Amino acid sequence: MSKSKKIIIAVVIVFIAIQFIRPKRNIDTAEQQGDFIKKFNVPANVAGVLKTSCYDCHSNSTRYPWYANVQPMAWLLANHINNGKAELNFSEFAGYSKRRQLSKLKAVANSVHDGSMPLSSYILIHSDAKLDDSKKQLLTTWFSKTKDSLDAQQ
Amino acid sequence: MKAIIPGIAMVAALFAGCSTNNSSNNTAATSADTITTNNETAAMPVSEPASVDAVVNDYLTLKNALANDNGSNAADAGKQMMTSLQKLDAASLNADQKKVYDDVKDDMKEHAEHISTNASNIEHQREHFDMLSKDMYDLVKAVKPAKTLYQDHCPMYNDNKGANWLSETKEIKNPYLGKKMPDCGTVKEEIKQ
Repeated sequence: MSKSKKIIIAVVIVFIAIQFIRPKRNIDTAEQQGDFIKKFNVPANVAGVLKTSCYDCHSNSTRYPWYANVQPMAWLLANHINNGKAELNFSEFAGYSKRRQLSKLKAVANSVHDGSMPLSSYILIHSDAKLDDSKKQLLTTWFSKTKDSLDAQQ
Repeated sequence: MKAIIPGIAMVAALFAGCSTNNSSNNTAATSADTITTNNETAAMPVSEPASVDAVVNDYLTLKNALANDNGSNAADAGKQMMTSLQKLDAASLNADQKKVYDDVKDDMKEHAEHISTNASNIEHQREHFDMLSKDMYDLVKAVKPAKTLYQDHCPMYNDNKGANWLSETKEIKNPYLGKKMPDCGTVKEEIKQ
Protein backbone atom coordinates (compact mmCIF):
# COMPACT_ATOMS: atom_id res chain seq x y z
CA MET A 1 0.00 0.00 0.00
CA SER A 2 1.38 3.42 -0.92
CA LYS A 3 2.17 6.01 1.74
CA SER A 4 -0.57 8.41 0.63
CA LYS A 5 -3.19 5.68 0.75
CA LYS A 6 -2.16 4.87 4.32
CA ILE A 7 -2.51 8.50 5.29
CA ILE A 8 -5.98 8.75 3.75
CA ILE A 9 -7.13 5.62 5.55
CA ALA A 10 -5.72 6.94 8.83
CA VAL A 11 -7.54 10.26 8.38
CA VAL A 12 -10.82 8.48 7.62
CA ILE A 13 -10.45 6.26 10.69
CA VAL A 14 -9.72 9.25 12.92
CA PHE A 15 -12.68 11.14 11.42
CA ILE A 16 -15.03 8.25 12.14
CA ALA A 17 -13.62 7.75 15.61
CA ILE A 18 -14.09 11.37 16.64
CA GLN A 19 -17.77 11.25 15.63
CA PHE A 20 -18.38 9.32 18.84
CA ILE A 21 -16.96 12.06 21.04
CA ARG A 22 -19.94 14.36 21.35
CA PRO A 23 -19.94 17.39 23.64
CA LYS A 24 -22.96 17.89 25.87
CA ARG A 25 -25.55 20.11 24.21
CA ASN A 26 -26.42 23.50 25.59
CA ILE A 27 -30.15 22.90 25.91
CA ASP A 28 -31.78 23.43 29.29
CA THR A 29 -35.50 22.80 29.00
CA ALA A 30 -36.32 23.83 32.57
CA GLU A 31 -37.79 27.29 33.00
CA GLN A 32 -34.93 29.77 33.48
CA GLN A 33 -35.72 31.54 36.76
CA GLY A 34 -32.99 34.11 36.34
CA ASP A 35 -33.82 34.88 32.72
CA PHE A 36 -33.20 38.40 31.54
CA ILE A 37 -36.42 38.73 29.54
CA LYS A 38 -38.52 37.83 32.59
CA LYS A 39 -36.53 39.85 35.12
CA PHE A 40 -36.54 43.10 33.13
CA ASN A 41 -40.05 42.76 31.61
CA VAL A 42 -38.48 43.03 28.19
CA PRO A 43 -41.01 44.15 25.55
CA ALA A 44 -41.88 41.49 22.96
CA ASN A 45 -40.12 43.18 20.03
CA VAL A 46 -36.81 43.45 21.93
CA ALA A 47 -37.18 39.94 23.34
CA GLY A 48 -37.75 38.56 19.84
CA VAL A 49 -34.51 40.08 18.56
CA LEU A 50 -32.57 38.86 21.60
CA LYS A 51 -33.81 35.30 21.11
CA THR A 52 -32.99 35.21 17.40
CA SER A 53 -29.71 37.10 17.46
CA CYS A 54 -28.14 36.63 20.91
CA TYR A 55 -29.53 33.66 22.80
CA ASP A 56 -27.76 30.97 20.76
CA CYS A 57 -24.44 31.82 22.43
CA HIS A 58 -25.55 33.86 25.43
CA SER A 59 -28.16 31.68 27.13
CA ASN A 60 -28.73 28.15 28.36
CA SER A 61 -30.49 27.06 25.19
CA THR A 62 -29.03 27.01 21.72
CA ARG A 63 -30.78 26.35 18.39
CA TYR A 64 -28.27 24.00 16.81
CA PRO A 65 -27.53 23.98 13.08
CA TRP A 66 -27.34 20.64 11.19
CA TYR A 67 -23.54 20.56 11.17
CA ALA A 68 -23.52 20.48 14.94
CA ASN A 69 -23.89 16.71 14.44
CA VAL A 70 -20.52 16.52 12.72
CA GLN A 71 -17.22 16.56 14.61
CA PRO A 72 -15.09 18.55 15.03
CA MET A 73 -17.68 21.28 14.28
CA ALA A 74 -19.65 20.48 17.42
CA TRP A 75 -16.50 20.93 19.52
CA LEU A 76 -15.89 24.34 18.02
CA LEU A 77 -19.50 25.30 18.65
CA ALA A 78 -19.38 24.06 22.24
CA ASN A 79 -16.23 26.08 22.85
CA HIS A 80 -17.82 29.16 21.27
CA ILE A 81 -20.96 28.84 23.35
CA ASN A 82 -18.99 28.33 26.57
CA ASN A 83 -17.01 31.50 25.92
CA GLY A 84 -20.16 33.40 25.05
CA LYS A 85 -21.92 32.28 28.21
CA ALA A 86 -18.92 33.10 30.40
CA GLU A 87 -18.98 36.63 29.02
CA LEU A 88 -22.75 37.08 29.30
CA ASN A 89 -25.50 34.58 30.06
CA PHE A 90 -28.99 36.03 29.69
CA SER A 91 -30.49 32.92 31.33
CA GLU A 92 -28.69 33.74 34.58
CA PHE A 93 -28.72 37.51 34.36
CA ALA A 94 -30.89 38.03 37.45
CA GLY A 95 -28.19 36.35 39.55
CA TYR A 96 -25.52 38.89 38.57
CA SER A 97 -24.57 41.62 41.02
CA LYS A 98 -26.06 45.02 40.24
CA ARG A 99 -22.63 46.25 39.22
CA ARG A 100 -22.24 43.43 36.73
CA GLN A 101 -25.77 43.93 35.40
CA LEU A 102 -25.05 47.60 34.75
CA SER A 103 -21.79 46.83 33.06
CA LYS A 104 -23.43 44.15 30.88
CA LEU A 105 -26.36 46.37 29.89
CA LYS A 106 -23.90 48.97 28.76
CA ALA A 107 -21.71 46.42 26.99
CA VAL A 108 -24.70 45.08 25.03
CA ALA A 109 -25.66 48.58 23.87
CA ASN A 110 -22.05 49.32 22.90
CA SER A 111 -21.30 46.09 21.07
CA VAL A 112 -24.57 46.20 19.11
CA HIS A 113 -23.96 49.85 18.27
CA ASP A 114 -20.41 49.31 17.00
CA GLY A 115 -21.39 46.08 15.22
CA SER A 116 -18.96 43.79 17.06
CA MET A 117 -21.94 41.65 18.06
CA PRO A 118 -23.41 39.39 16.76
CA LEU A 119 -20.11 37.98 15.46
CA SER A 120 -19.75 38.17 11.69
CA SER A 121 -18.89 34.44 11.53
CA TYR A 122 -22.20 33.70 13.22
CA ILE A 123 -24.25 35.94 10.93
CA LEU A 124 -22.66 34.25 7.92
CA ILE A 125 -24.55 31.07 8.75
CA HIS A 126 -27.54 32.49 10.63
CA SER A 127 -28.74 35.17 8.26
CA ASP A 128 -31.87 35.73 10.35
CA ALA A 129 -29.66 36.87 13.24
CA LYS A 130 -28.29 39.83 11.31
CA LEU A 131 -29.29 43.16 12.85
CA ASP A 132 -30.49 45.78 10.39
CA ASP A 133 -30.33 49.45 11.37
CA SER A 134 -33.81 49.53 12.89
CA LYS A 135 -33.09 46.48 15.07
CA LYS A 136 -29.74 47.96 16.12
CA GLN A 137 -31.46 51.19 17.04
CA LEU A 138 -34.16 49.31 18.96
CA LEU A 139 -31.59 47.37 21.03
CA THR A 140 -29.18 50.23 21.73
CA THR A 141 -31.96 52.59 22.80
CA TRP A 142 -33.70 50.04 24.98
CA PHE A 143 -30.49 48.80 26.64
CA SER A 144 -29.18 52.32 27.33
CA LYS A 145 -32.52 53.34 28.79
CA THR A 146 -32.70 50.22 30.96
CA LYS A 147 -29.14 50.79 32.16
CA ASP A 148 -29.91 54.38 33.13
CA SER A 149 -33.03 53.42 35.05
CA LEU A 150 -31.24 50.61 36.90
CA ASP A 151 -28.40 53.02 37.69
CA ALA A 152 -30.89 55.48 39.20
CA GLN A 153 -32.24 52.84 41.62
CA GLN A 154 -30.23 52.77 44.77
CA MET B 1 -1.29 26.58 30.24
CA LYS B 2 0.51 24.86 33.08
CA ALA B 3 -1.68 21.79 32.54
CA ILE B 4 -0.59 21.57 28.90
CA ILE B 5 3.14 21.37 29.62
CA PRO B 6 3.04 18.02 31.49
CA GLY B 7 0.66 16.81 28.77
CA ILE B 8 3.17 17.63 26.05
CA ALA B 9 5.97 16.07 28.04
CA MET B 10 3.87 12.93 28.46
CA VAL B 11 3.10 12.68 24.74
CA ALA B 12 6.75 13.34 23.95
CA ALA B 13 7.71 10.57 26.34
CA LEU B 14 5.26 8.20 24.64
CA PHE B 15 6.67 8.97 21.22
CA ALA B 16 10.19 8.53 22.47
CA GLY B 17 9.06 5.18 23.80
CA CYS B 18 7.70 4.13 20.40
CA SER B 19 10.82 4.93 18.45
CA THR B 20 13.39 3.53 20.87
CA ASN B 21 12.00 0.38 22.37
CA ASN B 22 14.89 -0.30 24.69
CA SER B 23 15.00 3.05 26.54
CA SER B 24 11.29 3.92 26.80
CA ASN B 25 11.14 3.46 30.56
CA ASN B 26 14.12 5.67 31.14
CA THR B 27 12.77 8.44 28.95
CA ALA B 28 9.42 8.44 30.70
CA ALA B 29 11.09 8.48 34.09
CA THR B 30 13.29 11.44 33.19
CA SER B 31 10.32 13.40 31.86
CA ALA B 32 8.31 12.70 34.98
CA ASP B 33 11.15 14.07 37.10
CA THR B 34 11.27 17.23 35.06
CA ILE B 35 7.52 17.69 35.45
CA THR B 36 7.66 17.45 39.23
CA THR B 37 10.44 20.02 39.39
CA ASN B 38 8.51 22.39 37.11
CA ASN B 39 5.37 22.17 39.21
CA GLU B 40 7.29 22.86 42.38
CA THR B 41 8.88 26.03 41.04
CA ALA B 42 5.53 27.19 39.66
CA ALA B 43 3.81 26.75 43.01
CA MET B 44 6.38 28.89 44.85
CA PRO B 45 5.15 32.46 45.41
CA VAL B 46 7.40 34.69 43.33
CA SER B 47 6.84 37.95 45.19
CA GLU B 48 4.92 39.64 47.99
CA PRO B 49 1.12 39.67 47.69
CA ALA B 50 -0.13 42.79 45.93
CA SER B 51 -2.12 45.45 47.76
CA VAL B 52 -4.94 47.74 46.71
CA ASP B 53 -2.24 50.35 46.07
CA ALA B 54 -0.65 48.12 43.44
CA VAL B 55 -4.02 47.99 41.68
CA VAL B 56 -4.33 51.78 41.97
CA ASN B 57 -0.88 52.18 40.41
CA ASP B 58 -1.82 49.91 37.50
CA TYR B 59 -4.99 51.93 37.04
CA LEU B 60 -2.99 55.17 36.91
CA THR B 61 -0.57 53.68 34.36
CA LEU B 62 -3.56 52.65 32.29
CA LYS B 63 -5.13 56.08 32.61
CA ASN B 64 -1.94 57.79 31.44
CA ALA B 65 -1.59 55.40 28.49
CA LEU B 66 -5.15 56.24 27.40
CA ALA B 67 -4.49 59.96 27.82
CA ASN B 68 -1.52 59.50 25.45
CA ASP B 69 -3.69 57.56 22.95
CA ASN B 70 -1.41 54.54 23.44
CA GLY B 71 -3.54 51.39 23.17
CA SER B 72 -0.70 48.90 23.51
CA ASN B 73 0.63 50.46 26.73
CA ALA B 74 -2.96 50.51 27.99
CA ALA B 75 -3.24 46.79 27.19
CA ASP B 76 -0.03 46.08 29.12
CA ALA B 77 -1.35 48.02 32.11
CA GLY B 78 -4.62 46.09 31.90
CA LYS B 79 -2.70 42.84 31.95
CA GLN B 80 -0.63 44.00 34.90
CA MET B 81 -3.82 44.96 36.71
CA MET B 82 -5.22 41.45 36.21
CA THR B 83 -2.08 40.05 37.86
CA SER B 84 -2.27 42.52 40.74
CA LEU B 85 -5.93 41.69 41.33
CA GLN B 86 -5.12 38.00 41.22
CA LYS B 87 -2.37 38.43 43.83
CA LEU B 88 -4.26 40.86 46.05
CA ASP B 89 -4.37 39.63 49.60
CA ALA B 90 -7.78 40.55 50.99
CA ALA B 91 -6.80 39.42 54.49
CA SER B 92 -5.52 42.91 55.32
CA LEU B 93 -8.92 44.48 54.64
CA ASN B 94 -11.51 45.08 57.34
CA ALA B 95 -15.09 43.78 56.97
CA ASP B 96 -16.51 46.90 55.27
CA GLN B 97 -13.58 47.16 52.90
CA LYS B 98 -13.83 43.50 52.07
CA LYS B 99 -17.51 43.89 51.20
CA VAL B 100 -16.72 46.60 48.66
CA TYR B 101 -13.75 44.66 47.33
CA ASP B 102 -15.83 41.50 46.85
CA ASP B 103 -18.42 43.56 45.03
CA VAL B 104 -15.96 45.14 42.58
CA LYS B 105 -13.23 42.55 42.06
CA ASP B 106 -14.82 40.33 39.39
CA ASP B 107 -16.07 43.30 37.46
CA MET B 108 -12.62 44.91 37.62
CA LYS B 109 -10.94 41.74 36.41
CA GLU B 110 -13.31 41.54 33.50
CA HIS B 111 -12.70 45.14 32.45
CA ALA B 112 -8.94 44.73 32.86
CA GLU B 113 -9.07 41.63 30.70
CA HIS B 114 -10.99 43.35 27.91
CA ILE B 115 -8.57 46.27 28.01
CA SER B 116 -5.61 43.89 27.83
CA THR B 117 -6.93 42.13 24.72
CA ASN B 118 -7.94 45.22 22.74
CA ALA B 119 -4.61 46.98 22.14
CA SER B 120 -5.70 47.94 18.63
CA ASN B 121 -9.14 49.21 19.63
CA ILE B 122 -8.59 52.11 22.01
CA GLU B 123 -12.22 53.24 21.88
CA HIS B 124 -13.26 49.85 23.20
CA GLN B 125 -10.60 50.10 25.90
CA ARG B 126 -12.05 53.46 26.90
CA GLU B 127 -15.57 52.02 27.20
CA HIS B 128 -14.25 49.50 29.71
CA PHE B 129 -12.08 52.12 31.40
CA ASP B 130 -15.24 54.16 32.03
CA MET B 131 -16.83 51.25 33.94
CA LEU B 132 -13.53 50.32 35.58
CA SER B 133 -13.20 53.89 36.90
CA LYS B 134 -16.51 53.55 38.72
CA ASP B 135 -15.27 50.34 40.40
CA MET B 136 -11.93 51.93 41.24
CA TYR B 137 -13.64 54.95 42.79
CA ASP B 138 -15.83 52.78 45.02
CA LEU B 139 -12.76 50.79 46.05
CA VAL B 140 -10.58 53.78 46.99
CA LYS B 141 -13.47 55.35 48.86
CA ALA B 142 -13.50 52.24 51.06
CA VAL B 143 -9.76 51.50 51.15
CA LYS B 144 -7.89 54.77 51.48
CA PRO B 145 -5.19 55.13 48.83
CA ALA B 146 -1.50 55.61 49.78
CA LYS B 147 -1.43 58.96 47.95
CA THR B 148 -4.07 61.60 47.37
CA LEU B 149 -6.23 60.97 44.30
CA TYR B 150 -8.53 63.27 42.37
CA GLN B 151 -11.80 62.28 40.80
CA ASP B 152 -12.13 64.14 37.52
CA HIS B 153 -15.16 64.55 35.29
CA CYS B 154 -15.31 64.82 31.52
CA PRO B 155 -18.70 66.18 30.41
CA MET B 156 -18.26 65.36 26.71
CA TYR B 157 -17.52 61.63 26.58
CA ASN B 158 -20.37 59.17 25.89
CA ASP B 159 -22.29 61.56 23.61
CA ASN B 160 -22.20 64.25 26.27
CA LYS B 161 -23.44 61.92 28.99
CA GLY B 162 -20.10 62.39 30.70
CA ALA B 163 -17.68 60.08 32.46
CA ASN B 164 -15.38 60.16 35.48
CA TRP B 165 -11.86 59.00 36.12
CA LEU B 166 -9.26 59.04 38.87
CA SER B 167 -5.95 60.85 38.65
CA GLU B 168 -2.84 61.31 40.78
CA THR B 169 -2.47 64.94 39.67
CA LYS B 170 -4.65 68.02 39.98
CA GLU B 171 -3.83 68.90 36.41
CA ILE B 172 -6.38 67.48 33.93
CA LYS B 173 -5.15 64.89 31.41
CA ASN B 174 -8.24 63.47 29.77
CA PRO B 175 -8.02 59.68 29.16
CA TYR B 176 -11.31 59.53 27.22
CA LEU B 177 -10.62 62.11 24.54
CA GLY B 178 -6.83 61.75 24.61
CA LYS B 179 -4.69 64.19 22.69
CA LYS B 180 -7.73 65.55 20.85
CA MET B 181 -8.84 67.42 23.98
CA PRO B 182 -6.28 66.72 26.73
CA ASP B 183 -7.46 69.41 29.16
CA CYS B 184 -11.21 68.82 28.92
CA GLY B 185 -12.63 68.15 32.37
CA THR B 186 -12.83 69.33 35.95
CA VAL B 187 -11.79 68.04 39.36
CA LYS B 188 -14.90 66.83 41.21
CA GLU B 189 -13.45 65.45 44.41
CA GLU B 190 -10.20 65.04 46.27
CA ILE B 191 -9.78 61.58 47.83
CA LYS B 192 -7.34 61.94 50.70
CA GLN B 193 -5.18 59.11 51.93
